[in-house]
Amino acid sequence: MTDQVQSQAPQTTGHVWDGDLQEYNNPLPAWWVWAFYATVVFALIYWVLYPAWPLGKGFTKGMDTITYVNNLGQTKTVPWNTRALLMKEMNKAAAEQKPYFEKVMATPYAQIVHDPELSNFVLSAGRSLFLNNCAACHQSGGQGLHGLSANLTDDYWLYGGTFAKIQQTITYGRHGYMPPFRDVLSGTQIAQLANYVVSLSGQPADQTAAKAGDVLFHSQTAACYYCHGVNAKGRSVIGSANLTAPVSWIWTAYRSSNTPAENVAAVAHTIEGGVYKGVMPTWKDRLTPVQIKVLTAYVHELGGGQ
Amino acid sequence: MGAAAGSPAQQYNYEVIKKFAIMTLVWGVVGMAAGVYIAAELAWPHLNFGIPYIEFGRLRPVHTNLVIFGFGGSALFATSYYVVQRTCQTRLFSDGLASFTFWGWQAAMVLAPISYMLGHTKSREYAEMEWPLVLLVEVTWVAYLLVFVGTIMKRKQPHIYVSNWFYLAFILAVALLWTFNNLTIPVSLFHMKSYSLFSGVQDAMLQWWYGHNAVGFFLTAAFLGMMYYFVPKQAGRPIYSYRLSIVHFWALSFLYMWAGGHHLHWTALPDWTSTLAATFSIMLLLPSWGGMINGIMTLSGAWDKLRTDPVMRFLIVALSFYGMATFEGPMMALKNVNALSHYTNWTIGHVHSGTLGWVSMITFGSFYHLIPKLWNRKLYSVKLVTVHFWLATIGVLLYIIAMWISGITQGLMWRAFDAYGNLQYSFVESVAAIHPFMVMRWVGGVFFLTGTLLMVYNCYMTVRAGAPETEPAGGNLQPAGANA
Repeated sequence: MTDQVQSQAPQTTGHVWDGDLQEYNNPLPAWWVWAFYATVVFALIYWVLYPAWPLGKGFTKGMDTITYVNNLGQTKTVPWNTRALLMKEMNKAAAEQKPYFEKVMATPYAQIVHDPELSNFVLSAGRSLFLNNCAACHQSGGQGLHGLSANLTDDYWLYGGTFAKIQQTITYGRHGYMPPFRDVLSGTQIAQLANYVVSLSGQPADQTAAKAGDVLFHSQTAACYYCHGVNAKGRSVIGSANLTAPVSWIWTAYRSSNTPAENVAAVAHTIEGGVYKGVMPTWKDRLTPVQIKVLTAYVHELGGGQ
Repeated sequence: MGAAAGSPAQQYNYEVIKKFAIMTLVWGVVGMAAGVYIAAELAWPHLNFGIPYIEFGRLRPVHTNLVIFGFGGSALFATSYYVVQRTCQTRLFSDGLASFTFWGWQAAMVLAPISYMLGHTKSREYAEMEWPLVLLVEVTWVAYLLVFVGTIMKRKQPHIYVSNWFYLAFILAVALLWTFNNLTIPVSLFHMKSYSLFSGVQDAMLQWWYGHNAVGFFLTAAFLGMMYYFVPKQAGRPIYSYRLSIVHFWALSFLYMWAGGHHLHWTALPDWTSTLAATFSIMLLLPSWGGMINGIMTLSGAWDKLRTDPVMRFLIVALSFYGMATFEGPMMALKNVNALSHYTNWTIGHVHSGTLGWVSMITFGSFYHLIPKLWNRKLYSVKLVTVHFWLATIGVLLYIIAMWISGITQGLMWRAFDAYGNLQYSFVESVAAIHPFMVMRWVGGVFFLTGTLLMVYNCYMTVRAGAPETEPAGGNLQPAGANA
């Protein structure tokens, strides 16, 4: 049947399927063929330059090389590989950071935060360190999360807000603990204590119960003052909470929007069960001393530094 | 070729095709709705509601499995059974086995999502099914192979039509991929959990050899088979080039198998493996385009059909998205481009320009041709096809543009350094930055799903209420194609 088709027109292969399905026998488009060859040439050049084909127990290494400085400070030139490329890029970033890190290490905290250049660096590097290490618990703005972590932007500190204290906290971590009192005190006594604690911040409470709680607080029976102090303002040496400042509490579901009864119940709940989840990990094995120093200055400047 | 006795409906097994066609639409709606929901979860995480069964991690495989295997798979069963019968001019090799493939496949499509929502998963992308379901699919697939090869062997046509090469390559490759990527050892006979036979980077490489060729043979080769039948049929013109179809078929089949490693650039995968994957991906570009050229050039000389025939528009736009996605893919397979694009939404956008733009569009176009033929009815509304076309096209565009912008935003933010050599952004800042585009992507999905619902309505009305196209059923219908 192809004989009858004019030579100018495309010819079909002569096969017909399903009534009318046919195929022209057009040649391969020249641009398509050449473009395909071009991709093959691209691949060939690539294989010559970079690691490509397995060979015995190794592989063809390619001609391109990378020079980088390894973790031991040695300069290495190796055949191109992605690991070395990463090291090289990290070298570049490290080189940019290096003069600033050295300056930070050599400068006392009080001067760092008053030196415009250094404090800019600390804000930049500290932010990056904070967001990638601390923000998971303390949130991206350092505002903390009730039931999980401390607010780093307010004026209250469990363990102290000086440079030295913050650095100690980051370096070694913290382990907040309050024993449970449900087996030591009666329900009535716990309710009295809870009323007293709520009254400390000027909130409405049962005055009679609060008075009894006051006595109990300072007695040898409950001995709350051992940790929270005679004035109930907490002791930063052991990280006990300031009971006159419920806005800073992490573990007790005290809210200004609650009814007084709800807040008393929340405090009673903490007295009964104690606090055992207040663990901040140690960072000395994960961050370098200079990174901790940068973070300390950054956290101090979040708003609450003392 | 007038050997056919009786109507096509009598000569061929249309029953199993009709069933698969209906389930294509059902899984299309369910799978895409799941996609729309998880897109909403990403934009508004509250929609997880703290319910483990519907949280993103469990619903995502429900979405991917139902659209790829439920919608795409059923569409491939339906069209391959249709095409192989009509181009071989013979009935399916075994009605019983064909029916078994239907029930086996649908059982897997019902059970797999339930098992994912209950938390059973192998954690291998697109191969999440645990071992009992793997075996069900395996047995079904072998039956499929038997039906398909058996039908080709008893063909009444001397030559095997190009669509059938692609379908057969797809069935064989998927059998191979499915078997090897599912070599796992169950904890016990009465436990769903199983562990891979391989470990470490070998295991990852095996998974992505599977994952990429699932794209290559399930979502590309098989749908090219669909294209090679329905485009020339709908256009009423011969395929542009037989030679091109042969060359690009073999080039595609050979080159695709090497490319999977590009999913593992910048990982523990050896650099040489990574290089081979990147370069074979580049060499894959033109063989992939061969199918697009052949499809689009088939319309050469009948371009006016694009204005008058919305079904043709679906098919051609599908090929355009196919061409775009198969260009984008090799570019993303280059290591330095991948350093920017990997782990970002760009990848998700790339997959969807392939699956929404190419796979779904070619299926929609083919089904608007197929459904009237199967039920011997006139299509209920051509106007609705036009509306569907625009909803789908706008939906895909919204989706992929949102993913391009958000993906590149993520890639740039993640590796931005400030003047001091410090990382400029944290991860959560990049999440906040792309939120508007997560909403935009969801809107795109809603458009696309709405279009699919319109199609379901149109098909339902065609089957239920449409007028018979020629003589009433039972009359002496002409053999297929004689009136074309």
